[in-house]
Amino acid sequence: MEKRLLTLNVNGQDYELYINPKTLLVEAIRDHIGLTGTKRGCDTVSCGACTVMIDGMAIKSCSVLAMQAEGYQITTVEGLEVNGKLAPIQKAFIDNGSYQCGFCAPGMLMSAQALLNENKNPTEWEIREGIEGNICRCTGYNSIVRAIDGAAKGKYTEAKS
Amino acid sequence: MINDFNYLKPGTLKEALAMYAEHEDCKVICGGQSLLIVMRQGMISPEYLLDIKHVKDLGYIKFDAKDGLRIGATTTHRAIEKSDVIKKIYPVMISMENKLASIQVRNWGTIGGNLAHADPAGDPGAVLIALKANIKIGNAKGERTVALEDFFVDYFETVMDHELVLEVHVPAPEPKTGAAYQKFNLLESDMGIVATAASVTLNDNGICKDVRVVLGNAGSTPIRVKRIEELLIGKAYDENLFAEAGKIASEDCEPVADIHGSEEHRRHILGVLTKRMLKQAWEEARG
Amino acid sequence: MNKYTVINPHSKFTVLNTHVHNIDGVAKVTGRAEYTFDVKLPGMLYGKILRSPHPHAKILNIDYSRAMEIPGVYGVVTGKDTLGVKQGIWRRYKDLCDEQVLSVDKVRYIGEPIAAVAAITEEIAEKALDYIDVEYEVLPSVYEPLDAIKKEAPEIHEGVERNINVTRHIEWGEVEEAFGEAEYVREDWFKCGGQAHMCMETRAAVASYTPEGKLTVWTSTQSAYYHQALLAGVLGMREGDIRILAKYVGGGFGGKFELDGAQFCSAVLSKKLFRPVKIVFTREEDFIATKRRTPMFYYVRTGVKKDGTLCAREAKVFTNGGAYTGMGATALYLTGFFHSFPYRWKGYRYDGYRVYTNTLPSTSMRGFGAPQAMFCSEQQIEWIAADLGLDPIEMRRKNSHHEGYEVPGQATIASCGIDQCYDEIRKWIDSKGKLPANRAIGISACGFMSGGIFNWFDTPYSFSSAVVTINQDGTVELHVGAQEIGQGSNTTMAIICAEALGVKVGDIKVHSGDTDHCPADLGAWGSRQTLMTGNAVKMAAEDAKKQLLEFAYAQSGLNIVYDLDIKNGWVHAIARPERGEDFVQLVRKALRGKDGQRIVGRGYYTPHRKGMISPAYSYMLQGVEVEVDEETGKIKLCDSMTAHDCGQPINHLGLIGQLEGAFSMAAGYGYLEYMPFEDGKLMNPNLVDYKMIRATEMPPANIAEIDTYEPEGPYGAKEAGEGLTNPTAAAIGNALFHLFGIQMKECPIRPEMILNALKEKKEKEQEKKGKK
Repeated sequence: MEKRLLTLNVNGQDYELYINPKTLLVEAIRDHIGLTGTKRGCDTVSCGACTVMIDGMAIKSCSVLAMQAEGYQITTVEGLEVNGKLAPIQKAFIDNGSYQCGFCAPGMLMSAQALLNENKNPTEWEIREGIEGNICRCTGYNSIVRAIDGAAKGKYTEAKS
Repeated sequence: MINDFNYLKPGTLKEALAMYAEHEDCKVICGGQSLLIVMRQGMISPEYLLDIKHVKDLGYIKFDAKDGLRIGATTTHRAIEKSDVIKKIYPVMISMENKLASIQVRNWGTIGGNLAHADPAGDPGAVLIALKANIKIGNAKGERTVALEDFFVDYFETVMDHELVLEVHVPAPEPKTGAAYQKFNLLESDMGIVATAASVTLNDNGICKDVRVVLGNAGSTPIRVKRIEELLIGKAYDENLFAEAGKIASEDCEPVADIHGSEEHRRHILGVLTKRMLKQAWEEARG
Repeated sequence: MNKYTVINPHSKFTVLNTHVHNIDGVAKVTGRAEYTFDVKLPGMLYGKILRSPHPHAKILNIDYSRAMEIPGVYGVVTGKDTLGVKQGIWRRYKDLCDEQVLSVDKVRYIGEPIAAVAAITEEIAEKALDYIDVEYEVLPSVYEPLDAIKKEAPEIHEGVERNINVTRHIEWGEVEEAFGEAEYVREDWFKCGGQAHMCMETRAAVASYTPEGKLTVWTSTQSAYYHQALLAGVLGMREGDIRILAKYVGGGFGGKFELDGAQFCSAVLSKKLFRPVKIVFTREEDFIATKRRTPMFYYVRTGVKKDGTLCAREAKVFTNGGAYTGMGATALYLTGFFHSFPYRWKGYRYDGYRVYTNTLPSTSMRGFGAPQAMFCSEQQIEWIAADLGLDPIEMRRKNSHHEGYEVPGQATIASCGIDQCYDEIRKWIDSKGKLPANRAIGISACGFMSGGIFNWFDTPYSFSSAVVTINQDGTVELHVGAQEIGQGSNTTMAIICAEALGVKVGDIKVHSGDTDHCPADLGAWGSRQTLMTGNAVKMAAEDAKKQLLEFAYAQSGLNIVYDLDIKNGWVHAIARPERGEDFVQLVRKALRGKDGQRIVGRGYYTPHRKGMISPAYSYMLQGVEVEVDEETGKIKLCDSMTAHDCGQPINHLGLIGQLEGAFSMAAGYGYLEYMPFEDGKLMNPNLVDYKMIRATEMPPANIAEIDTYEPEGPYGAKEAGEGLTNPTAAAIGNALFHLFGIQMKECPIRPEMILNALKEKKEKEQEKKGKK
C-alpha cells in the first residue's frame, strides 16, 4: 500500500493530507482535518449522520473515499455559518426544535441545505424525500420538515430574522 | 475494516483500460455505494482499486429517436432521474430511479456500478431488461455488447471477464409501449424485498404484440418470465389474464426466505406485483 | 402539516411555556457540540472488545500473547484483570446483580465481552482481536422464556431454578368475586417483540486513569451519577475519585443508564495502562451487545358487564429477560402496573415472570414495559367493545381514572385530563368523515408515570438536587445532576429557574453532566426529571429569590403586608409593580450586605407518601389513521392525533418534539422494528435490515394538549414524552381490526402476519358457510 498525498477543499479551505487511500471521506474530515461536527452512526451507508455536501449535493461521506473527493468543494456543518452568523436553515432548526440529541443534526442540515440548493420551493413530500436518507431517532421528523419549509419560504433570511 | 489496497486513478477511459489490464487483482470503484460496504465487511479485499468515478468519457446521456438511449457507465442515478429526455421517453426509469435509494446514494452512485454489482435486488436490472436493454462492456483488448438479460450470471456475478461496464443501451420504444415497475418494501426508498418490472407493446387493435415481465430479487439474477410472454402475446386486455400471469410469476421464481419474508410470502407478492404492473403497463401502452 | 391545539391554556407565566429555543441549539446546529464520540485526548489509545460467538459457554482459557506481539498493541484485559464483581442497577438486591460486563468464566449470550484490547489505532485494536485465542466449552442454550422455564432447560445462572430471574405480583380487590360480577369474560394470548434503542450515538466512553488514583470518564449516558457509582463498585474505587463527564449525549431512550462494555472495558484498560482509552461501539455492537426492549408473552383475562363496566382483570406475563437482569426487573413491575391503566378495576391481579435466556439481555426502553402492556390491553378492550356492541370510546371513558381516584394500594391520581382527551379524539375522528375503503382509524388510551419513587439503586442522596448561584451581574449558575440527553432537560430546568427567579432564560447557565461539579441525581429515565429535578430547581431558585427579597424588603420601606416579587428582572411590590428596582442592582447590594458572599439557593426532591410507583401520572389518547394494501399487507400511516395531558407544559416546543418523537418510535414498534433471533443470534444487527420510521413514513402528528394542574409537579407539570411510546402499537392493531376484522396478537405487525390473518379469517368464514 502506497500512502497518497491529496488536497481536499473543505468549507473553502484547502487541506493537504497524506493518507492511506482506503481512508473514507468522513475519516479524513473528522480524524485528519479535525472537523468533528460531521458524525457517523452506522457502517452501512444507512443513517445519513455523515452527510456532507459535495459541490452542493448531499452525499454520505462514509460512502466515498477521501481520494475520490479531491477537486470538489466539500461543505460540512461547520461551513454553514459565516462569521458567526447562522445560515437560515440553522436558524430554522433552532426555531422549530428540529433536533433533540443533536447527533443527526449535522447530517440532516446538509441534506436540508442541499435540497434547498436545488429546489427553492419544495413541497412537503419533496422535503420528506430530501431527508429520507437521514435517520433521526428523537424528533419524528415533522419538526425538521417544518423547519425546511419555513426556510424555503424565506422565514429565516437576514431581513426577516 | 477495509483492507489496504493500492489506489489507481485514471484520467481517461484509455488509461483506465490500460491500468485495469495491468493488474489482475483489481476491483473497479465508481460511486462505491455498495462496494465500500462490502469492502468494509472484509468480503472483498483487492490489491488494487481502480477509481473510474472521474473518467469523463463515460459520463453521458444520449438519445436518438432511432438508436434509442445510451447512458455512460459513470452517469449517476440522479443525473438519469433529472434527464428530460428519459422522463419523456422512458418514464418508468424515472420512477424506478426516484425510489432506488436515498438522495445521497443517488447523487454519487452510478448506473454502471449498480449493474456491475449484480445484486438481484438492484432496481435498474429488472427495469432495463424489461426495456430490452443491452450493455456494452470491455477491456483493453476490445469491447462487446451483450443483452442485459444475459449479463447477470449469479448473485453478485456477471459475464464480465476482467472487463468494465462502459455503456447501457436502451432501444427506442416501439409505439404503443407502456412500462411499469414496483418494488415491495416497507420504507419508501428501501431495497425491494421483491419487485416486478413489466413492459407491454400493443398493436393498433390493442392486442398484445410484445410483453416482458422481469422479477427482481426473486432469484440469483433478475428473472425474465417467458411463460407470461407466451400467455399474453396475441391477447386482448383481460384482467383475468393478468391474474393468471401473476400466478405464473409466483411459480417461475426462486426467491429465498429471510427475515423480511418467507419464500411463500415473496412468491405471493411477486404474483400481486406482476398482476398490477401488467395492468399498469398495458393501460399506459393504450395511452 | 400538523395541527396543534391547546385546551384549557394557562397564561399566568412569564417564561414558562412560551416559545423558548433550546439553550444548546447553537452548539447542536453548528457542529460545536462535543459528544463522547468526538473526544480526543493526548496520548489516547483506542479499545476494541472481543465478544462471545457462543450463546452459552464456559471460558476455559484465554491466551492473548499473540495479540501482544502486534506492533501498536498496548495491552489486553480479560475478566481476570477485573475484580469480577457481579454488578447490576438493582443494588439493594444482590441476587439481581448478576452481570460482570467483562465475563470471567462463562458467557451467556452472543456478543458478551470476553477481552478488550487497547492499541494506538482502532484498526490495530480490531486486528488484534483475531489474535486472541479463546478456548470454550460450549453449553446447551435456550432462547425463549417458555422453553427456559421448563424443568429440563439448561441452567443459565448457577442456582437459579427454572431460570426465573424475578417474579412480580400485583393485586387489589377481590379478583374472583369481581370476575363473578362480570357478564362477559374474554381471554387472549399476546406476543410482544423487542426493540432496539438505536441511539444515533452508539455506546461510547473515553476513560482516563491517572497515577494519583483518579479516573475520568467521558461517556454517553443517561445518568452520570449512576455510572460514577457503578464504576466505583466494579473497580473498587471511591465514587469521589471518579468523575463522569457527559455534556452532549446522542440519545438514550432507556438504554444508557446501566454499565456497558465501552465504559467498563475502557476504564479497566486505562487503569492498567495509565493512558486514556476510547471505545466506541460499532452499530453492530450496539445492536448485539447492549440491551433491548423486553419481549413479552402476555395472557390477559378480562371480565366486564354487558353495559361495558370493567370488573376484573387477570394478567400473566412471561418476559424474555435475556442473559442478565439490567433494568428488566423494573420493566416487569411497570408492565404489570400500567396494564391496568387508565381504568378502574374492582379486582386486578398480575403475575409476572422474568426468565433468563441465552439471548441479548432485555431492559428498560422508553415506555418501560408499558408499550407491551398497552398493545395487549388496548386491543382487547377494543375487541370487548365490539363483542358487546358498545362504542369503544364511551366504554373506555366510563371506566377511566379521574382526579381523586385511588388505584387501590398503589397510587392516588391527583390530576387527570383523560376525559377531555376522549373529546378531542372523538372530534378528530368525526372531522375525518367517511374514510376510503382501504383505511381505518384505531385508537388507544394510556397513562404513564412521572418518575419512579423506588430506590432499589440504594442511593443515600435525594433523588434530585439543584444549586442556584447568582453572580454580581445578574447571571445565574444552575447546577443540576439531571442529564441532558436531547430531551431538552437543560432547557426545561433553565425555564423553571428563570420563571421562579424572575429573570430571563438567557441569564441562566445550566451546568449538568459532570459529577465533579453537579449534585447527584438519578438521571434521565422513567420520565422523572421534569417533575423531580424540576421541583429541586424551583426550590433552589425560590430559596435564592427569598434571600434577595429579604434585602429588597429591608431597603424598600414598605409596610410588611406588601408582597414582593421579581419578574423580567424587575424587583417590585406586587400591588405596585411600577415601584421597584433592577434585579442586577439588588444583587450587587445583596452581595455587599453579605460581606461578598454569593447568593446561593439550594433545592432537592425526594418523593414521600406517593404510593408504590410514581408521584404523578400523565394521560393520553392516540389515534392513528392506517391504510393497508389488502393484497400485500403493507401498512401506511396516513394521519395521527394525540390528545395528551401532561399537566402544565413547561416548554411547548420541547413538548411537541417529545410527543412527535415518541409517536414515531411507538409506530416503529407497532409495525417495523423487528428483532428476530436464530439460535441466539440477532439476524438484523444493522440499519439495512432493522427498519425504522423515516421522514417519508412519518404521518402528520396532530396534537391536542390538555392542560391540567398536577399539585406534585413544578408549576403543575408532569410527564411528557415517554408515555406516548405506549399506545400506538395497539392503535395500529385496532385500525386493522376495524378495517378487516382481524385481531393482531403479535407485534411488530408485519405484512406477512396481516396476510396470514386475512387468510385465516377467510378460511374460517368458508368453514362456517360450509357448515350452514
